Amino acid sequence: MKAINLVMTRKNSIAIEFDNILPELLFDKSLTQIQDSIIYMGNKQLPLSEFFEVEIEGDCQNSEDCLINIEGDLSRVKRIGFAMNSGKIIANSNVDFHVGALMTGGHITVNGDAESYAGREMTGGTLEIKGNVKEFCGSSYAGEWRGMSGGQIIIHGNVGKQLADFMLDGKIHIRGNCDILAGVHMSGGFIQIDGNVTQWIGGQMKKGIIVLNGKIDSMLPGFVFQEIVHNPLINGQYFIGKYRLYSGDRGVNGKGQIWIKE
Amino acid sequence: MIEKPIKDYDKEVKNCSCSYCGNNCDDITYLLKNDEIVGVRHACRIGASKIINDQDQRLLSPMIRNDEGILEETTWDVALDKTARLLHNSTRPVLYGWGETSVEAIKKGIKIAEITGSVIDNQSTICHGTSIQAFQNVGHPVMTLGEVKNRADVIVYVGTNPMDDHPRHLSRYTTFPEGFFRRNGRQDRTIITLDPKYTNTAKVSDKWIQFNMDEDYLLFNALRMLLKGEELEEKEVAGVSTQQLEELIKIMKNAEYGALFFGLGVSQTLAKQKNVDVLIQLIEDLNRYSKWSMLPMRGFFNVSGFNIALTSETGYPYGVDFSRGYPRFMVGETTTIDLLNRREPDFFMAVSADPGVQFPGYTIKHLVNIPTIQVDTHWGPYTELSDIVLPSTRVGVETEGTAYRMDSIPLFMKKVIDKPKNCHSDEWILTELYKRIEQLKQEDE
Ligand code: SF4
Repeated sequence: MKAINLVMTRKNSIAIEFDNILPELLFDKSLTQIQDSIIYMGNKQLPLSEFFEVEIEGDCQNSEDCLINIEGDLSRVKRIGFAMNSGKIIANSNVDFHVGALMTGGHITVNGDAESYAGREMTGGTLEIKGNVKEFCGSSYAGEWRGMSGGQIIIHGNVGKQLADFMLDGKIHIRGNCDILAGVHMSGGFIQIDGNVTQWIGGQMKKGIIVLNGKIDSMLPGFVFQEIVHNPLINGQYFIGKYRLYSGDRGVNGKGQIWIKE
Repeated sequence: MIEKPIKDYDKEVKNCSCSYCGNNCDDITYLLKNDEIVGVRHACRIGASKIINDQDQRLLSPMIRNDEGILEETTWDVALDKTARLLHNSTRPVLYGWGETSVEAIKKGIKIAEITGSVIDNQSTICHGTSIQAFQNVGHPVMTLGEVKNRADVIVYVGTNPMDDHPRHLSRYTTFPEGFFRRNGRQDRTIITLDPKYTNTAKVSDKWIQFNMDEDYLLFNALRMLLKGEELEEKEVAGVSTQQLEELIKIMKNAEYGALFFGLGVSQTLAKQKNVDVLIQLIEDLNRYSKWSMLPMRGFFNVSGFNIALTSETGYPYGVDFSRGYPRFMVGETTTIDLLNRREPDFFMAVSADPGVQFPGYTIKHLVNIPTIQVDTHWGPYTELSDIVLPSTRVGVETEGTAYRMDSIPLFMKKVIDKPKNCHSDEWILTELYKRIEQLKQEDE
């Protein structure tokens, strides 16, 4: 196992972009090579060593055995684990936009909150955020018809608007509350929300499953109540309690399922 | 008070354009005396006041703020050199505005953004940007205002009040004019307004449907269900009775040609982009029964032109970030208000726009701490914040140029009078800036 430890030494109000700091790009690099990795700040390109102290522990043969451990205030560090395909990243702080977006594999843990676009269009791997997340988590990018299509997102806190917009596949588990428009345009995948949802869940949903363990004020008119099921088996997992099953969205002849705990 | 007709003029120039709102009225007559505008015909009250008071509060010379904080007149060379150097040395520059200038100037601005790694953004970021996102996601059944005038028998306004914002919209395009298939003008048309408020547009409509603020998304979803023939379980949706909604759908379904216009009352309420998204789908569904199209009510006369020019150059309509050398667009990340709220920009240039009027207070505070440049025709709140002022000319009055009407129709706007002596067109200013930045880049190499 190789651990690359990064400790932030300089924070700017202009955010920096971290696309080049990935296990698959750094696992076989020397200390100097890692220190020289390009970081983007606005229209400038600077070496990683301008912002972080770098330390290496151990060694590895492939990126799967590589861990990047990032310390300091990362609230202006964007694109942590962006398009990552293997290995592990631990960010011990709040992080900026696009954490884990377009990731295809590996594991990211954020010990704090995340800005918008977390896990957008991810196709594999696991993204775990211990705090809250802002908007468009697991969604599609602007103009794109495909959101998250694989992998797993676990959010311990609350999430903002438009969770899993255009989701195709994969799993999302929200332990906290969820703002409006979760699962809009969803056509596959599984979302579990343990907290409450403000309103308008599943609009224009074609397929996929949403399980809501908290409360919601009202359903969109495109959803029809089907039945009450005790301890339902949903997506290979038993949920304990009485659940109301709705199907829809009829507006798009959708066959999505929304299960709401009574 | 009744104003007397203006008789004291020596020249009439016909078929001029009004460079104010997205109606882009191009049937305006200017009345001149000694080559100055003394009167105007056919313009609405907003357009007329803008044209007649053109010389009031004009910026007439380039200015730089001195060490005491006072704006001092300077030469073009000094002002342009300083602007070019500041922009060239910045890390997160933002070039904002563009809604009230020509496409020719906008194209120069895009070139500058590209070579300096800037963010280039326009007023869509605070108005119909969300609508454009929805168009890019789910398509957009378009129409021209000419089609509406000649064909439409049912006009629906949602969350917009053109009687006050686009005063000639009803008289020139939708409600009152005689059309090829609507010989009796107003009598051949049904006008419906959906708005939480009883606006002046609602007052002249045949039907006003009041719905709850921020419940647009729910309302449009319910209308889609009714159109499909599904029954609603609720007696009331978004504050509107199901019976009223059924009546509305019946009228819309039976239209020969329906035209829907929507404003910021849709694109900027709670569900934003998704309101427009579901509204587009409602219009698509209506096309199974009749012919329906829709348009956003664009504000400034060339706000749409910026979106079209930028999309043709980069694929993105606004908020484009060239910092990595190629275009990127992310709502909330590369859009001006969000960048300013995050205190990221270290250079800000506003071209034909006044952020001092348009932006929230917290956002403006950051502008006090960074170099700010104004390229505009008139003194305004943003002049008070600017470090360098570059006085420009009015498109369609002192400079010719192209603008896109709200229905994306390009219109040529001709020059009517000469510009003030020491002012230059936006296009000239931006060309000069571009040359200077190129020079600085060569010196660096
Ligand atoms: S409606 Fe708009 S474009 Fe037409 S005259 Fe009035 S302000 Fe000018």
